[in-house]
Amino acid sequence: MGTIVLEGVTKIYPATVRDASDVTAVENVDFKISDCEIVCLVGPSGCGKSTVLNMIAGFEQPSAGRITVGSTPVSGAGPDRMVVFQSPALFGWMTVYENIVFGPKKQGVPRARYQAEAKRFIEAVGLGDFASNYPYQLSGGMRQRVQIARALVNRPEVLLMDEPFGALDFQTRLLMQELLLKVWSEFRPTIMFITHDVDEAIFLGDRVYVMSRRPGRLKEQVDVPFPKPRSMSMLTDPAFISLKERVLQSIKEELGETT
Amino acid sequence: MPASNEAAVPSRPPATEADAPAVPARRRGLGERLGESKYPLISLLAIGAMLLLWAFVTMVLGVSARVLPSPPEFFAQLHKLLENGYAGQPLRVHIGWSLLRAMTGFTLGVALAIPVGLLMGYSRAINAALQPIFGFFRPIPPIAFIPLMIMWFGIGELSKILLIFAASFNYTVLNSAAGMRSVPVQLVRAGVNLGLTRRQLFTDVMLPAAMPSILTGVKTSAAVSWAILVAAELIAAQAGVGFIIMDAGTFFRISDVFIGIIIVGAIGLVIELLISRIERRLLHWQGKG
Repeated sequence: MGTIVLEGVTKIYPATVRDASDVTAVENVDFKISDCEIVCLVGPSGCGKSTVLNMIAGFEQPSAGRITVGSTPVSGAGPDRMVVFQSPALFGWMTVYENIVFGPKKQGVPRARYQAEAKRFIEAVGLGDFASNYPYQLSGGMRQRVQIARALVNRPEVLLMDEPFGALDFQTRLLMQELLLKVWSEFRPTIMFITHDVDEAIFLGDRVYVMSRRPGRLKEQVDVPFPKPRSMSMLTDPAFISLKERVLQSIKEELGETT
Repeated sequence: MPASNEAAVPSRPPATEADAPAVPARRRGLGERLGESKYPLISLLAIGAMLLLWAFVTMVLGVSARVLPSPPEFFAQLHKLLENGYAGQPLRVHIGWSLLRAMTGFTLGVALAIPVGLLMGYSRAINAALQPIFGFFRPIPPIAFIPLMIMWFGIGELSKILLIFAASFNYTVLNSAAGMRSVPVQLVRAGVNLGLTRRQLFTDVMLPAAMPSILTGVKTSAAVSWAILVAAELIAAQAGVGFIIMDAGTFFRISDVFIGIIIVGAIGLVIELLISRIERRLLHWQGKG
């Protein structure tokens, strides 16, 4: 269903006024994310993580290679692959409820159905009391909850998360990570999660993919053998620490010359 | 973005009784006791001071009524104008003519500017074609075109309305285009992601997102329209507030000149308040955050 397959995916941005020559952002990436799996993508800044996500989402087209989600090749954006953006891209003139039902409503889903669905997802992300608030009245963490609910209500096979908790403070981030795992266990979407935070990557991921510096290639795949459900106590487990060391080492090698 | 906790911003912590006694009782200043209400009070006091200064200069210092009428003279003349009108027509007819011209030009200008501006913001090709033309005309004070307008279209209503139309168009088109261009990519992508058609994306995402900027343009256009109107009426009109000012000036009726000026100011103020109110209602979602 929600299997993501990348085969030889390359993205080259043609030369512009600023960049005199073509820029290869992503080079020959092959990977597979299985149905219902959570895979976290880490790597140095500017390594093309977001470009990979944007191509899977269908916002950008690969210069070469194939991307398949489920059994269909990706040819454009669509609600089967919902993106959760870092800066909460909420519609500021709509209430929490209106934001969440906006997609289904525009798709022509009957009102009775999307209303019930929305209620369910608003509860699932813990925003029951805030359905009629506007985004400007919410904290950063709550805005991300809205984004998650707005994505899930479309019943996507795949959830693409682009550093969604990167701008949140530490405590809120921990809460959101637990929330995401809870929501995942309930609805089982395939998740690709981009982050800078290695702790976050290992805590959430069934696997962690490390990308090289630009041009981004898939450098290493690290399996995270912790079973779900997971709890915070995992963060201090020696096995967790050694995984973290391995991932950090891998990223550090990539930082070597450029910084 | 404040995200220190998961509490909602609007629910302010309740003011508990326990807060107050913590501070030892002391005499609170007048300003402190008045709280927020002191600011309108300050404004009223400033207006009062200005009126007093006016009375002082004219009635105590004895500045000539040919230069500046005293308050009693002014209000007596205002009363007379309200009763008898000016140049054979009641004041409300003059005001009505001015408002009609301004509203017609402004409405037409804004109605055309919003779609054109949105298209310019949406399509780089359209922008490339139109931007140089509008960009050239924008810095030219609209008043510079008055003689041309009179030569082309005579001193009738058409030349005045065209002038206001052009000025009003120019400001709203600029802001509408800018508003459209500054819609965050993420927001558009969020819409695309939800499976919106191009049309839905335009009407349901980009247009509301551009609305704050559009309304800024409309507000500027309204102010400019009113200013241009008065300038146009100064030069050629048989009725209107600008006409009163010009005509009274020609015959040294200084009180009437001031009355005209004050009417212009008062109506300008009302227009601005009205639009600000509409703006607040439409853009309530911008909040403070």
